[in-house]
Amino acid sequence: MAAELTLARAPAQLRPTSGGRRTRAAVARTLTFVALLVALVPLLAVGSFIVSQGIGVIRPDFFLQDPPGDLSALGGGIRNAIVGTLEMTGIATAIAVPVGLLIAVFNAEVGGRLATAIRFVIDILAALPSIVVGIFVYELVVVGQGHFSALAGSIALAVIMLPLIVVSTEEMLRLTPRPVAEGVRALGMSRWRSYLAVLLPTALSGIFTGVLLAISRAIGETAPLLFTALGNNFFSVSLSEPMQGLPLLIYRNALNSAFPAARDRAMGAALVLIAIVLIFNLVGRWLVARRNLARR
Amino acid sequence: MIIEDLPPSPAPVVPPPRPVAIAAAPVVAPGAAPVVRIGAVSAYYGPRRVIRDVDLDIPPNSITAIIGPSGSGKSTLLRCIDRMHEIIPGAHVEGSITYRGIDIYDPGVDPAAVRRTIGMVFQQPNPFPTMSIATNVIAAARFNGLVKGRSAEDALVEHCLRQAALWDEVKDKLHHSGSSLSGGQQQRLCIARALAMEPDVLLMDEPCSALDPVATQQVEELMLRLRERYTIVIVTHNMQQASRVSDRTAFFTMGTDRAGYLVEVDDTVKVFTNPREQLTEDYISGRFG
Amino acid sequence: MVFRVIAAAGTVVALATVGLMVYDSVITTAPVISTFGIWDFVTGLRWAPSFTIYGALPFIFGTLLTSVIALLIAVPVALGIALLVTEYLPPRIAGPVAVTVDLLAAIPSVVWGLWGLLVLVPFLRPIEHAIAASAGSVVPFLGPPTPGPSYFAAGVIVAFMIIPIVAAVTREVFAATPRLQREAVLALGGTSWDVVRRVVLPIGRAGFLAAIVLGLGRAIGETIAVTLVIGNAPRIGSSIFSPGFTLASVIANEFNEATEPLHAESLITLGVVLLVIAVLINGAGLLIRRRVTQVAGRGS
Ligand SMILES: Nc1ncnc2c1ncn2[C@@H]1O[C@H](COP(=O)(O)OP(=O)(O)O)[C@@H](O)[C@H]1O
Ligand SMILES: [Mg+2]
Repeated sequence: MAAELTLARAPAQLRPTSGGRRTRAAVARTLTFVALLVALVPLLAVGSFIVSQGIGVIRPDFFLQDPPGDLSALGGGIRNAIVGTLEMTGIATAIAVPVGLLIAVFNAEVGGRLATAIRFVIDILAALPSIVVGIFVYELVVVGQGHFSALAGSIALAVIMLPLIVVSTEEMLRLTPRPVAEGVRALGMSRWRSYLAVLLPTALSGIFTGVLLAISRAIGETAPLLFTALGNNFFSVSLSEPMQGLPLLIYRNALNSAFPAARDRAMGAALVLIAIVLIFNLVGRWLVARRNLARR
Repeated sequence: MIIEDLPPSPAPVVPPPRPVAIAAAPVVAPGAAPVVRIGAVSAYYGPRRVIRDVDLDIPPNSITAIIGPSGSGKSTLLRCIDRMHEIIPGAHVEGSITYRGIDIYDPGVDPAAVRRTIGMVFQQPNPFPTMSIATNVIAAARFNGLVKGRSAEDALVEHCLRQAALWDEVKDKLHHSGSSLSGGQQQRLCIARALAMEPDVLLMDEPCSALDPVATQQVEELMLRLRERYTIVIVTHNMQQASRVSDRTAFFTMGTDRAGYLVEVDDTVKVFTNPREQLTEDYISGRFG
Repeated sequence: MVFRVIAAAGTVVALATVGLMVYDSVITTAPVISTFGIWDFVTGLRWAPSFTIYGALPFIFGTLLTSVIALLIAVPVALGIALLVTEYLPPRIAGPVAVTVDLLAAIPSVVWGLWGLLVLVPFLRPIEHAIAASAGSVVPFLGPPTPGPSYFAAGVIVAFMIIPIVAAVTREVFAATPRLQREAVLALGGTSWDVVRRVVLPIGRAGFLAAIVLGLGRAIGETIAVTLVIGNAPRIGSSIFSPGFTLASVIANEFNEATEPLHAESLITLGVVLLVIAVLINGAGLLIRRRVTQVAGRGS
């Protein structure tokens, strides 16, 4: 045995935390609250700014009219941008969801070296800055077609959505309880049928959530649309022509915000855009929360 | 979740004199003032009461074994004694627990101070994975400000590892990671780590349940030696272990309300040979649990 | 069989797209590379389309500077929020707080830019002026002029945009700290700070690093918000309060009007440079994350 050490503790006494340690713990805790405050200030600032400046702009005409050709002119609305955003996001969803589901199913079920390669490609797609996506789609679609188009814009948004959908779907398929997966095989179903009939429906709400969150991300993107859909000032639903979108409209008007009319239009459109994004985002989150509750 | 930091300093307490160690006394001297007194303690997780009205005295320099079926609240009671129960959100304790006359649930008492004097060893060995063996031992002594300086630290590391009967096995690899050790070694490292903050009481929650028989025997021998300096409470599933190492045995079981309660407590020999309660006898002879 | 074919088809589409992108970027950047050389293009200080002079350094510099400013602000804030949510707040409050912070990520880039242009830049201008007038005379790179739109303003906006992602990943890393480890510290008489210092931070270090790298990956690609507040000047500014450009913002700003010879091709080459930086950063992030999950898988 080593020599007895002297007791640091007086017998039968509790040693309270020293003042210095108390202070350190209190300071650390206080700093974390300060950090939260630093994040909440801009959130509240942006929210209150857009709502207070945008709410006065919103009248029925704002939804029913198209903007004037001259951004500095008063009046007009953002009808073409709302329709354009919904149309392009809708088409992007129609492209990205089936492709994304197939890739996810392939990766989860088939695996192997090809799946590793695909996962690598998906990782790269997820890492692409959205402006780079815009450039590539410009090169591949706009240059190929010879003109800007809503289709090119939709494809760019689809490329943004694709990795998000693949990742969330793979996650859901992995979470699908194994007994279900093996049970359907035991029934002698082909893989393909088992997916359509059992696995996808089981994972459906989770996949749906991933899609909603991907939409809420794509809907607010400006950069991929700049060189693809380009934007315009009149109403158009044609896929082969340039198309306006809310983010594009806000961007162009923000660049001209020295004109009160452009500034107001940007504010009103920003309020509408935030509202749309929030609806998709919050519904998606709500579904996540509900599923987590159910799983517990 | 930690929400119980930093209460005001405890009121100064005049301590009773520390009793002289009773060397190798197999049975506790009658009349020695208990170190820990548990009075009418009930513990809750949220609304659910899991132990009910427990009265139990822990005599000094002895080993008290707590036995009973799984779910009877043994771990919970142990965690009440060093105020670890309350860190679980929604959990709370009723009744009174005193340590050498100090009410440890007094609002003026700092829970961290209680835990420095009443050390705990967990069921699963939990050395700090990012620290070396030596750093693991002095971690608490360091952040509790008990040691200053390189040589004092080294001395403390050696002292505690020797006390924990681990020194010879690790003295050449003090700077290796704590998680490189075997399970039994890790558990003894955790004991050394607790000893380094100079506790008075050691609580051990099934310290051998994750260990093989050889490691179990080492930890049991260690406990018997530590009894000379510390007051030990051990929860165990293993009846042989309780009869081998403990001086006193407390038997817990669950009532119809699924809350655990104390059936009886007595000298270990008595409990195992001639228990007062039929329930105890049934449990010990394996007819129950 | 059908299943394999269809699944493979979806995959081939994705692979083909990427292949096309690679092919395409080689074709379009070739004239730029052959005219200036890779090294001279990347290190070129001047960007003057009307003289057919294209150098990328001002934009690489701007991208890195704004990203560093953004990280310097966002990382401590995100760390604080993650600790607050996992260590200090009771679960009932922690959930809603986390969701609220996540909402920062739901604000579109262009809306951040609009607010930055109309609110943040005018708000920062007197502050920048005061700093430049005092510290600016001693510390290089903090001096005047302070016109408003600047690297600094862009960095601040980007910081707000990446706080939620860094905080969310860090939060998950910290929440995965084994309960037994936290309890070990508390049972040894540790304070909440000791838990953070001895267990949460050391165990979560690699995961936290991965979160920072993820935030950096986002920061370098941020486009529209930056374009609206950085002042769009194609040179290396003399101060963090100078107007500048980033790789992404110069592309957004000039591509549609790029009619000079090699202008569009040079912008696309900037896009490839940005792509390479993004892939390298995200690759580093993936490697770190893979190591983290391996360590977690082994269990500690
Ligand atoms: N963290 C907790 N939250 C809620 N209930 C718990 C928790 N820990 C233990 N319990 C419940 O308390 C009861 C007693 O548990 P415990 O003290 O661990 O018993 P023992 O150690 O005797 O097996 C059990 O019914 C258990 O389910
Ligand atoms: Mg237990």
